[in-house]
Order: sequence, then C-alpha cells, then structure tokens
Amino acid sequence: MFGFFARAAVGAWAVSVLRPVKAVAQKVAQSPVARSAREAIQKAFVTAQTPTGYDVHAHHWAMAIDVERCIGCGLCAEACKGENHVLKEPFYFRTWIERYIIRKPDPRSFELRGETLVDSPNGGIGGFPPSPVRKENILRTFFVPKLCNQCEHSPCIQACPVGATFDSPDGAVLIDKEYCIGCGFCVQACPYGCRFLNPVTKTAEKCTLCYHRITHGLRPACVEVCPTGARIFGDLKDGNEKNPVRVFIENNKVQVLKPHLGTEPRVYYAGLDKEVR
Amino acid sequence: MPPQITRLVYLTLAIVAVYFLARGFLVPASFGQYGWYRGNALKEIAALPIRYAGRAACAECHEEAAERLAKGSHQGLSCEACHGPGAAHAEDPAEAAPKPENSRFCLRCHEFNLSRPAKFPQVEADDHFPDQKCAECHAPHSPMQAPEDASKRNAKPVKK
Repeated sequence: MFGFFARAAVGAWAVSVLRPVKAVAQKVAQSPVARSAREAIQKAFVTAQTPTGYDVHAHHWAMAIDVERCIGCGLCAEACKGENHVLKEPFYFRTWIERYIIRKPDPRSFELRGETLVDSPNGGIGGFPPSPVRKENILRTFFVPKLCNQCEHSPCIQACPVGATFDSPDGAVLIDKEYCIGCGFCVQACPYGCRFLNPVTKTAEKCTLCYHRITHGLRPACVEVCPTGARIFGDLKDGNEKNPVRVFIENNKVQVLKPHLGTEPRVYYAGLDKEVR
Repeated sequence: MPPQITRLVYLTLAIVAVYFLARGFLVPASFGQYGWYRGNALKEIAALPIRYAGRAACAECHEEAAERLAKGSHQGLSCEACHGPGAAHAEDPAEAAPKPENSRFCLRCHEFNLSRPAKFPQVEADDHFPDQKCAECHAPHSPMQAPEDASKRNAKPVKK
C-alpha cells in the first residue's frame, strides 16, 4: 500500500518537474535560432538528396478556386489523371468537379431553399448531362472543383499508423509509398473524401499539388489546363506583387471547406455557397 | 552486487545495444531530414515524369500561334487545354504532336448547361448551325474572328 503511494508521489513529482523542462525544451526547439541551426545542419549534410535547385524551405504553395468561374468542363480532372497516372475507372480521382443544384423551396413552406442535388458523373470528365431539374425549379446551380485541401492540421496524417503521410515544408501533404501499408485509415480520416486506395500498388493516393511539376517551376496540371482561370496557384512565400494566389486572396472574400473541423485547409474558395461541403 | 542483478544489467545493456544497432541499419539515411518522415520521399515524388509541358514551352517554337492566341478571347487558355499533353513533343519535336479533337471538343466547354456561369458563352448545339463544324466560322485560336483559311470560310449558315 505504502509502495503504491510512494510511487504515485514520485510520479507526480517527476511530472511536475518534467513539465516545465519539456516546455522549455519545446520553446528552445521552436526558436528561430534552433530552426536556422537545424536547417543549416540539414543543408550541410544532406543537400545531395533535395531536388536539384529546389529549396523546400523557400516555398509555401497554395491553391485558390474561383467557384463562379468553373464551367464544369472536366479538363482538370482529365489532365490530373493523365499527369499522375491515376486509374481510369470512374471512382479514382485526385481532383474532380461536383455539380450542385439547389431547388426552390416549396412555396407553402417557410424554408429558404429546397433540396440540394450533388452529382459528379465520372468526376466531371467528359462534361455534365443537362440538369435533371427544370430551370423554373432551380434556385441556384454551380460547379465546384474539389481536390485535397492540403490541411495545415491534417486528420489523415494523424490517422496514419506508420507515418507514411506527412506535411512537407513547402505546404503539400504527401505520401511515402515505401512506408504506406494500405490500411486505409487515412481514407476514412479525410473529411473531404480526397484519398483512395490504389488497387494496383495497394497504397493510398491523393493530390500532391503535382509535386513533380511545382518543384520544376511548372503549375499543377489542373491549373495549367483550366480554360477559365477558376484554379489559381501560387507560392505564398513569393513576395512578387503579381503573385496570382496572393492577388486573388487579396481581391476576393475567400473561405475554406468545413472550417468547423479546424483542419485549416490551404485550398481557398471564393464564391462558395453554404451547401458546399 | 549480486550476480543475478549484474547479469540482468548486462542483458539490458545488450538489448539496448542491439536495438540501437538494428535502428542504425533499418532507419533510412534521409529520415528526419525535414521532419518525422523519409526526406528522400520528397525527391522520389518530385522525380515523376511530366506530361504537360506548359504554355511557355509551346510558345518557344510555335510563336505565331501563341501570339494569335494572346490576342483573341481564348487568351487565358493554355495550349494543352485543347491540344492535349505535349511534354514528349516539347522534349523531342520528332515525337508526334498532340492533335486537337473535333467539334465535339468545343462543346465540352461551350455546350449550354444551366450550371455554367450565365456570362460564359454557350450554345445549344442542336440549334446553333448543327450541320457545320465550329472551325468553319470560329478561328479556334481567336474564336470571335472568322478563320483565315479560305477553305473553311465559304460555309453558309443553315436556314431552319
């Protein structure tokens, strides 16, 4: 009995002593001096492993989407599949377009809007069929491009049991194929439905912001082919006044998807309706 | 110290040593380079082949077409939006260039759909000169102008 209390007392003492130590250690580790020292050490020893001429710490990529410009042509979804070798079946997408059709409310009811229909035939590749609802009954209808939101606090990273998915220093959430065991926890964890399991490689897959393109000075394939400029891509660390994403975020009232989840997405939407999830 | 305790201490030390030895062999060299993951994964992902070359690469050789495009109402479009991925062709011009598709392709963006922004130019394909090809009246690089190619200009609107 005494032993138990003694151990509990020692434990409590240890915790009370260690907590401030831990806090101080965390502060020191996060201080700018420590960070620059860490970066200097990493640069001195491992430069050979970074993509040539590309400094991951010098960029912070972000995507913005102008919902009012999207025409639902599906070129982005098709280009994404081609560029990233995504399987052709109509249920594997790294990016896709959704069509929202909000009906007018029943005139006898007190509601503001009627039922919302959402569809995405083959992710929008090949366009959308005519609206199943007649024009007179539609309150509002629009297209919304969807992709991985590259969250600052990603639920998928938290869920991965083997640490295969990670937040790269330049603002992309990526997957290490070598580490992924294909358990599918991240697919369930993603609140935006942006991940899938590739049945060939048996690993999880998602939008990488076309990491192989942006590290080589190109725009992601979906941004490249978008005919109306509905997708805007840029580097938040780029101080240039004409930086497209910065200009867009300055000139538009932007919001993110499902802000109540606290995931802090890095894909910003302008002109979003409240029905969009 | 009693011998059984000494033996336990040696055993513990041996286990710890084996753990660190195994860890040294099993953890990839680039682990922890940027964070709690394999730094080389970034390089591997960045090394994937590129299929879309980008508008700048096309304009390097196809100056005239790029200039025409920049003046017309299709100026915001990337070449590869209509012509398809062209990185292989940009890398080696002997490689076949992607070809734009038929009129159906124009309708992909310009077919009337209620969900499209109202200000976006759209046509009802069945009502808008259904027997003619789009390029007979609209120069694809500058669609508000008629094509310069005379063979495509002699088309007449179909009367209903």
